[in-house]
Amino acid sequence: MRQPQAVRAGLIGGAVVLYLGAVGMLERFSERSIIVGLIRFNLVVMMAAFFVFALFAYRRATGEANTSLGTGITAGTVAGVTTGVVVIILSLLVDAGVDVRSMFLRISPAFFEAITLGTNPYLGLVILAVIGAVMGAAAGGFRRLQPTPRTIVITVVGTVLLLGLGARLFIPMLQGLGIPTAWLYRSDALTILGAVIVSVLAVVIRLYLQRKGGFRKALTEVPGVTPSNVRPILFALGAIAVLAAPWIGKQFVADVLGTVGLYILLGLGLNIVVGYAGLLDLGYVAFFAVGAYTVALLTARSSSMVGATIFDLAPEPLTNFWVALPITLVVAVVIGILIGAPVLRLRGDYLAIVTLGFGEIIRVLILSDWLKPIFGGPQGITEVADVPAFGADTNDPRVLYYLIIAFALISLFIAGRLKNSRVGRAWAAMREDEDIAEGMGVSVIKYKLLAFAMGAAVGCLGGAFFPAKLGVANPGSFTLLVSINVLAVVVLGGMGSIPGVIVGSAILVGLPELLREFGEYRLHIYGAILVMIMILKPEGLIPDRRRALELHAEEPHESVGPLTAAATPGVQ
Amino acid sequence: MSLLELKGVSIRFGGVQAVKDVDFHADLGEIVGVIGPNGAGKTTLFNIVTGFYTPDEGSMVFDGANISGLKPNALTRLGMARTFQSVRLFNAMTVLENAMVGQHTRTKTGLTGALIKGKATLEEEAMITAKAQEALGFFGQRLLPRQNQLASSMAYADRRRLEIARAMATEPKLLLLDEPAAGMNPAEKEQLIEQVGRLRDEKGYSIVLIEHDMPVIKSVSDRVVALDHGIKIAEGTYDQVASNQQVIEAYLGKAGDDARGDMDDEVST
Amino acid sequence: MTTSARRSSLGIFSRLPVRRIVLIVLGVIITVAAIAGARATLATGQYSGRVWQDLFVQGLARGSVYALIALGYTLVYGILLIINFAHGEVFMAGAFTTLFLAGYLSSSGFMASQPVLSLLIMLAFSALVSMGVALLLERIAYRPLRGAPRLVPLITAIGASLFLQYTFRGFYGEQVRAYPNIPGLTGDWNIFGISIDRPRVVVIGAAILIWSSLYVFIERTKTGRAMRAVGEDREIASLMGIDVDRVIVITFAIGGALAGMAGILFILLFNQASFDMGFVPGLKAFTAAVLGGIGSITGAALGGLVLGLIEAVGPILFLSGAGIPSVGQLTSVVSFTILVLVLIFLPGGFLGAPEEKRA
Repeated sequence: MRQPQAVRAGLIGGAVVLYLGAVGMLERFSERSIIVGLIRFNLVVMMAAFFVFALFAYRRATGEANTSLGTGITAGTVAGVTTGVVVIILSLLVDAGVDVRSMFLRISPAFFEAITLGTNPYLGLVILAVIGAVMGAAAGGFRRLQPTPRTIVITVVGTVLLLGLGARLFIPMLQGLGIPTAWLYRSDALTILGAVIVSVLAVVIRLYLQRKGGFRKALTEVPGVTPSNVRPILFALGAIAVLAAPWIGKQFVADVLGTVGLYILLGLGLNIVVGYAGLLDLGYVAFFAVGAYTVALLTARSSSMVGATIFDLAPEPLTNFWVALPITLVVAVVIGILIGAPVLRLRGDYLAIVTLGFGEIIRVLILSDWLKPIFGGPQGITEVADVPAFGADTNDPRVLYYLIIAFALISLFIAGRLKNSRVGRAWAAMREDEDIAEGMGVSVIKYKLLAFAMGAAVGCLGGAFFPAKLGVANPGSFTLLVSINVLAVVVLGGMGSIPGVIVGSAILVGLPELLREFGEYRLHIYGAILVMIMILKPEGLIPDRRRALELHAEEPHESVGPLTAAATPGVQ
Repeated sequence: MSLLELKGVSIRFGGVQAVKDVDFHADLGEIVGVIGPNGAGKTTLFNIVTGFYTPDEGSMVFDGANISGLKPNALTRLGMARTFQSVRLFNAMTVLENAMVGQHTRTKTGLTGALIKGKATLEEEAMITAKAQEALGFFGQRLLPRQNQLASSMAYADRRRLEIARAMATEPKLLLLDEPAAGMNPAEKEQLIEQVGRLRDEKGYSIVLIEHDMPVIKSVSDRVVALDHGIKIAEGTYDQVASNQQVIEAYLGKAGDDARGDMDDEVST
Repeated sequence: MTTSARRSSLGIFSRLPVRRIVLIVLGVIITVAAIAGARATLATGQYSGRVWQDLFVQGLARGSVYALIALGYTLVYGILLIINFAHGEVFMAGAFTTLFLAGYLSSSGFMASQPVLSLLIMLAFSALVSMGVALLLERIAYRPLRGAPRLVPLITAIGASLFLQYTFRGFYGEQVRAYPNIPGLTGDWNIFGISIDRPRVVVIGAAILIWSSLYVFIERTKTGRAMRAVGEDREIASLMGIDVDRVIVITFAIGGALAGMAGILFILLFNQASFDMGFVPGLKAFTAAVLGGIGSITGAALGGLVLGLIEAVGPILFLSGAGIPSVGQLTSVVSFTILVLVLIFLPGGFLGAPEEKRA
């Protein structure tokens, strides 16, 4: 072969498509239309795979192959043919009576249907090869595009995918705003006409903004908006959008945004511990649980169990949410210090396992038969009282949404203030070099405990809402996965970076909510995204100024893989 | 009068007697040079004085207070500051922030202060910045114009200077410099000699410095102490120590490996 | 600030090791409680010597599996200083995939006629699968991240762990699947007058054999020396002409193979496989590696065995006497409490680097 790189990329691309089929994703995705009668999500994913690996072929190619359309076409065709040939082999095996499904469960008729786009394996081979070749050529062509047409292509594809996939979010929002949706959506997919209209609209807006030099500049052309007040105006618009969201989007939107807000809250707390002070905490869920259970114990009608069995009280809530909250804070801070104290001198990785252990201890204890009289075992604590707000007891998700937003803002404020203060500098010094920080007069023990306590306080705030929202506190919600999610939010956004936490939450918590219908693949995709983002942007999506400067100063790394080297062209 | 007074200080690591029965003092306004071959226990002595190691035996008095068993942060508060043989800055912080950390023990904004950010906090922040910039300004135009760069991005000699500036920002009485001239070219060494003099004359610090570079020791030291194998083998003016037979033997015996870096002495993480 | 203000805040606490004292008191309280619990348990006479014996052997067998998985954590950590959080999934990949081979061997009658050979084939196959997964993991998830801040590979590993779990769930389904029984491995063997479950004997024996071969490999072979050199100082090792990338690949390969074999031993004990079977043993093995002193091969073995024993014996011994119901649920409370206690007094684990001498 004259183009070994292209063939290699094509083979990998084919393997990826087959993988997606073998785990059942293509089959599941084929149930989802993006544009009615035209394109389903499985086809989108396959096309994307062919396209991406054709691009990959160019990345590796040198000399003439780097510009020739042939490279992309070769890669795409090889990918398509590989997929098709393996599918034919599989179908022959099935026909010959080999029970492939006894091992690979998803190699079912639906698998063949999804991967051959509803035809038979032989026709499928032809179709896949053609699609591969077309996408390969598209990849080659895309690379040659001038910036403006390139923007147009990206805008059209992005808009259609976003609106198509987010149908379940956008339909209620549009209806909430009183906009009819029949022209745009039929059931959960875009109509052809709708797709064309929104694409044209998006391109026009995008190009207009580009000509005006960006959104902000364009905004200043509106009467009354000047360069000096554009920031506050943007801020006000954002605030209105956040406040209005639960009203225009019905409960689903409020739920999603509320969960994002909750993770912002938790992320900001953990960011203090991990990002500011450099203490790796893998058991952050412990504080979430402490917050939830303390509030639940204090405000549940059934709690009861403690009250009734130990103090012989009537089954009435001990107090209301607002009294319980400060008590919870104190409890969390005490537990934060108790957890922090024994492990202060441990190195980073040891700290990780010990904190993880504490998280598990707390989860196991609330689940256990032993403490069931207090924590209710697997059922948890039920009948948690509603939150008194606006003169009434309520569990209206909208009210809770506002509460979460309010508390997220408070922790945003706390995190921001602490960061650029004497305390924040002491933490940063400790994170950089513990011995020297101590040599400069920083009491390492005091500041570590302070970090744990602050992190605990913020984390338990997040937990406190939990029983208020669901009416119960049960152990199923406090698994290691929560700790991992929060840590991922922090690192993905960029350690120590406050805007990073917000963006990280939106992506890692918000997006999976949109993809809820692919439920069984949520964590699958989540894991893949986590790996990809970390490889492409190890400093996080919105790096903290310090770390960003540091990473860039150290470029180039000694042995960077092809992915990093090529994916961060703006870095040097 | 003695600012720092060590009597009979010893420490051992496993089977190695790193420092043995050393008496050491530094008077107010004095510059003391500490010399000795690699592994002589110089940096270990620094680590003992600054609280990184706790000596097995011996008494230590600083500024009239018994300091044995005190932690490094407490000693910084009392007025002791140091630099490190292998430059150790807070790399992911800016030059200015490095120096600002030096002000830690001289300021008191805590959690509430940082959160409320009232007048007192703002004034203190302004003062911290001013003092940090003053310390950076000691090195003329080397550090101040680069105050918003990351410490890790600075040139080597500037990183050494920044370490001194960070120590200065702690407002010390006694400054301990661990091989400040290491890796510097002759011109930079000249500058350093002049700067060490100014640190004493203008800032009023007493100074103890470890140095391998004999011309530097000769130019700056009022008094020189020589260590070998953890034992003090000579003390006096530069000329007295340099002509001491034991000192000459200690150096000649190890003439071959008078290279850089007693790594084994360094505080390790 | 002036001199007078400097002196003021140096109280007695500057000198007194308050934290240390609190921790020691805490440690003593927990130890006393544990001894009291153990005495109470023994006083009930509820558990016979036979039961204890059984628990002990069970703990050793489980600990042997932990030890083999822990070696993978320790080897990778020793060289790259990263926690390969996805190692539990490497273990699962081998054990789960071998299920189908075992099914074939069993249904074709080969297993009935050649049980020992079957077991060896399964071990080798599982080791190969796990090794493949470990190598892919290294190539795709870790190699691009050399030199990145330390938390980054950890997050990548967590992502990879989820990805692998759900990949195998996608491939093989979400049900727990039963392994075919290996003939000849049911019932007991009489060893030193004690009758022991046959699978446990095989597991403990195999683990000892595998561990010893690894030890000899690391200590005696050229590649082993290269691995140790890279663990000491990567830069210097590469200056000495060692191909660091190759050593890292070998390390992952060995760790993966060990995990794959551990997977089959695990199967011998529990007879079933599922996509999430790797998570808990992975976590336990990581704990074992830290307990023994991460980076130390002997430490991993010691940590694994100790953890296995604690888990098997601990809850009943320490807790059941105190009248606590369903002590089995509290296994991880006991094991993590002991981990914390060990780390308080030996911050580097049993065989880790000792702490710096400092104030």
